[in-house]
Amino acid sequence: MIVVNDVHKRYQTPHGAGRWILKGVTLTIPTQVSVGLVGRNGAGKSTLLNLIGGVDTPTRGSVERRCRVSWPMGYGGGLQGSLTGRQNAKFVSRLHGFGGAETMAEKIAYIEDFAELGSSFDEPVRTYSSGMKSRLQFGLSLAFDFDVYISDEATSAGDASFRKKAADAFKRVADRSGLIMVAHSEGTLRQFCQAGIWLNEGQAHWFDDIEDALKNYRDSISIA
Amino acid sequence: MDSAQPSGAPLAPRNTFSVTLAVWNALFLREAVARLSATRGAWVLIVLEPVLHACFMLLLYTVLRTRSVAGADVAVWLVLGLTGYFTVQNVFQRAMGAVDANKALFAYRQVRPIDTVIVRAGLEALLGLVILVVLLIVLAFFGHSIVPDAPMESILAFIGLMACALGIGLLLSVISELIPEAGNLTVFLFRPLYFLSGAIFPLSAISIQYREWAFYNPFAHGLELLRSSFFPVYHAAPEANFKYLFGFAAVSIFLGLALQMRFARKLRAQ
Repeated sequence: MIVVNDVHKRYQTPHGAGRWILKGVTLTIPTQVSVGLVGRNGAGKSTLLNLIGGVDTPTRGSVERRCRVSWPMGYGGGLQGSLTGRQNAKFVSRLHGFGGAETMAEKIAYIEDFAELGSSFDEPVRTYSSGMKSRLQFGLSLAFDFDVYISDEATSAGDASFRKKAADAFKRVADRSGLIMVAHSEGTLRQFCQAGIWLNEGQAHWFDDIEDALKNYRDSISIA
Repeated sequence: MDSAQPSGAPLAPRNTFSVTLAVWNALFLREAVARLSATRGAWVLIVLEPVLHACFMLLLYTVLRTRSVAGADVAVWLVLGLTGYFTVQNVFQRAMGAVDANKALFAYRQVRPIDTVIVRAGLEALLGLVILVVLLIVLAFFGHSIVPDAPMESILAFIGLMACALGIGLLLSVISELIPEAGNLTVFLFRPLYFLSGAIFPLSAISIQYREWAFYNPFAHGLELLRSSFFPVYHAAPEANFKYLFGFAAVSIFLGLALQMRFARKLRAQ
């Protein structure tokens, strides 16, 4: 269970404090539910994901993670360019408590197998294309066991064959654990999510059915 | 927890201490790999810099027909001063860049900016110690006496030096992130420390009315103490003392940690 309590967020800009992006978001997200996050550009979807993932801290309010939550996948970050794919994988394994030789080898083997990078797995990540990076990131996040996975457009990268593989793996994850995702394609959201959160003007609205969230979102952009 | 997962999944959330240990372990190995294999022969350069420096200074000193400085064997004296100073410099300069170099890894909430600074400082201190020991052993092959006269004091002096460098590194890591220009400026401002710490000349040679100024610099204390711990007969500058060295370390580390805490959110910002 993730408890988001009266979260306000604004960013510091070079010209002082920016506008309030989240204005008092209060949510309780159960562990076993797959939730899609919808809202127009700049509504604060990625901001909310980062807050839930603990990568950023709210300006006011609190986020409580009462379960194991992944880092925001497809975040773009999380890979050190100067290190090889394998070294990055080792780093993340150690970080998550799999530093032992055997358990780590198991994780690395899984990641290497999933990412299908071939010999590039031992090349520095800065030489990767964006598709290769997302293959690695996807493999990384699926190698570890979380109660809730956070995905920020993680499914949209890669070529057709990888997208298929990623979607299948994602579906299995969604069946087994919770999922909080941002995606701009409605098809993706329908495919993976049951519930929805609609972010509008700094407020979050929970819907038990993703269709209702999408409907509200569509209505809001057709008016504007 | 789901039992269908690959084996080895921790059953309960880890406590903060074990998370921090895991982070330090992962960061340490990541930093070590980057430092030692970033370019071809990176590790050769790391060793070669102080060696060449020491050889050059040794040549100067011996051409001037000096075999001893203030009662000490000049070769050992130079190696202690130069490697000691370079280690200090590496610790605070590399610590300064630690936050920026690891920005990508803040995507994992377990990694905090302060971890990167502490781990980098630790790695540099360890590298410095290894180089120092290797160089001393090389000197031993040439017939120099390298066994410290007061080993406990040598250890304390080295720890004190590293602690001061960590404190300054912590401070600089925050300052240079908040004000990037200040970072560039400090590299330039800290250059004279090479001389002011007495890496290549005995501080006891400074006339007494200026010496007290020189000893506001904690590294002057540290290097002088390190040297005097090695030689049974060494005319160290009397101002050097452990009290100032560890006092400076405690204050600078405290201030550095306070700044890191105060600006933790800002340092993390992508």
